[in-house]
This record gives sequence, C-alpha cells and structure tokens, in this order.
Amino acid sequence: MHIEDGILPPRAWGFWYGVAMLFIIPGIREIKRRVRENLSYKPFLAMVGVGVFVISAMHLPVPVTGSCSHPCGTPLAAIIVGPFATAVISLIVLFFQAIFLGHGGITTIGANDFSMGIVGGISGYLCWRLMRCFDSPLWLAGGIAGFVGDVMTYLTSSFELALSLHGHIPLLKQWMIFFAGYGPTQLPLAVAEAVFTAAVLQVMYNRRPDLLPGITGKKSGKIGKIQIREHEYESN
Amino acid sequence: MRAIENGAAETTAWFDPFTRWMLIIMFAILMAIFAAAKYMNMHSMQGGGTDDTVNAMASQAAKVKAHPFVNLPGDAQVGAFSVANFFAGMIVGHNWKRLFEREKVD
Repeated sequence: MHIEDGILPPRAWGFWYGVAMLFIIPGIREIKRRVRENLSYKPFLAMVGVGVFVISAMHLPVPVTGSCSHPCGTPLAAIIVGPFATAVISLIVLFFQAIFLGHGGITTIGANDFSMGIVGGISGYLCWRLMRCFDSPLWLAGGIAGFVGDVMTYLTSSFELALSLHGHIPLLKQWMIFFAGYGPTQLPLAVAEAVFTAAVLQVMYNRRPDLLPGITGKKSGKIGKIQIREHEYESN
Repeated sequence: MRAIENGAAETTAWFDPFTRWMLIIMFAILMAIFAAAKYMNMHSMQGGGTDDTVNAMASQAAKVKAHPFVNLPGDAQVGAFSVANFFAGMIVGHNWKRLFEREKVD
C-alpha cells in the first residue's frame, strides 16, 4: 500500500492529506488525553509505533503468487493505543519509511496514512469492539480485527489509485484491477496478521491485564496503581 | 538467573524462557520464509513486492513514472533495513521490559 511519489496528481494527494488531517488532529488530542490518564501510555505508544514501522516494512514471500508483501500492524495498534492515535503514529512511520527506506513517498503520505493508519486501524478497531460486545474471546476478536484491518488497508489503497487514475474505465473495474495486484498475495498475509494480532493481545493480557484499561472490558483501577517498572532498573 | 542479596547475579542461564521462545518463533518464521523462497525459486517466480507491482500498474495507467524520494541501490537497502530494525528492536525491548516484565518474587 506504499504508493510512491509521482503517481497521484497533486489534487489527489492534496485531498488525501486533507482527509488524513481530519483524523490526525483528534489523534493528537487523544494522545495528550491518554498520556494524562495512563502512565503506561507513553511507553506503549513508543513500542507500538516502532512495531508498526517494522511490521509494515517486513516483506514476506507468498509462494502461491510468487510475490512478497507486508502486514500493517495498525489494527493491533488501534486496539492498544486507540484508532486516532494510530493515525498519528502511522503518519510518523510512513514519513520515516519514505525518507530512509525509500518506501512510499513524501507527497503520498496522506494517502498512505489514510489507507494504513486510518481505514486499517479504524476498521480493525470497530471489528474488535463489535466482537467484544458479543463476549467473543480475546484472541478471536483480535484475530478478526487483524484480518479485516489488513484487507481494508489494501482495498483503500487500491481505491485511492483507482479514483485518480481510472480515466475512461469504470471506477469499480479499475479498483478491482488494482486490488487484484494486491489481493492474492495479501490474503494469506492477512491471515498471518490475524494470528499475530491475536497472539500479541493474548500475551499482553496474560502478563499485564492492568495495562490494557478499557481494552479488555476490565477496569484497571486507579492511575497510581499502574506501575511502570523503571524504578527497578534504576535501583539495580 | 540466580539472585543474591545485593541484587547482583551469580549465574546467568544461556537460554532463559523468554529468549528460548523468541528464538523458537524466529526460527519458525525464518523456516517458513526459506521454504517459500525455495518453492518460488523452483518455479522461477520473481518474488517482487506487490507494492512495486501495483505502483508499476498505476504508473502505466497514469502514463507517468513513479519517483521515490530515495532509492537505495543493491545491498544499501539491506543495510538500511538492518539499522532500522536493530534500533527498533532495542526500543521495543526497552519498553517491553518496562511494561511487561514479571514482578520479582522475594
């Protein structure tokens, strides 16, 4: 889903920057609010941001199609740090990938953020919330969120390309043509993303359920009870 | 690790449970990648990225040439990825320990 510079016309990439900003601004507010509420939020944000950077640059081969693609990590991020905050960390991730790794582009950061950070994150998050409303097990809700978020990311990326470039071809047809470039390779990776999302959430919950306030449906208690174990390292 | 009174360690295990599990998962993923790569080599598959494929399709549709901001030639890409992932691992590990390390039982 890393659309490169030069493909989208200026009007299109400007539009996607504008749309992304509608989510970035609430995202910054969400980060500020949750930092005040939860002492563990900053380390979470750092860890998740770096995790998204690595996961979305990790190209895995899919032998059925003979090509490689990467998962996104944003559905997991949206569950842990919030959907709007995920839009912000994705923006930062895509910027660093563009300038240091040659992945994506500078002008297309808005479009790429919309597909990966916003649609991928929010669709995964909504699936998670829906599944949890029906008392679905943690791993199942996380798995479905990972799968849906991954597929939605690539559907959106294809749509962004088709919307600008369909010309005389019907939009839907061009959309499916671009998605056909992603889909066969991406579907097995979406399953891998589902397994990964489910496993990470389950491990986090098993180790420190108190660090996932409002995520697992259980209250974490007071802010003061949330312990970041930095003091242990300082004392050792 | 066996702790003594002042907090210093007397002995250190080669493979503590966390390291052991991380290595097992890493080798499982790497084996899957190598198996996939072997299959792709046997069937003369290119193994290119779908991002590149779709960007090429889009370039053709738009009749323009994509121009990434930076283009890392040859092994420079491996180097850049390694540096990025090394420091990413350090940051994730640091924060993972702060958040998820099990409490010490005295």
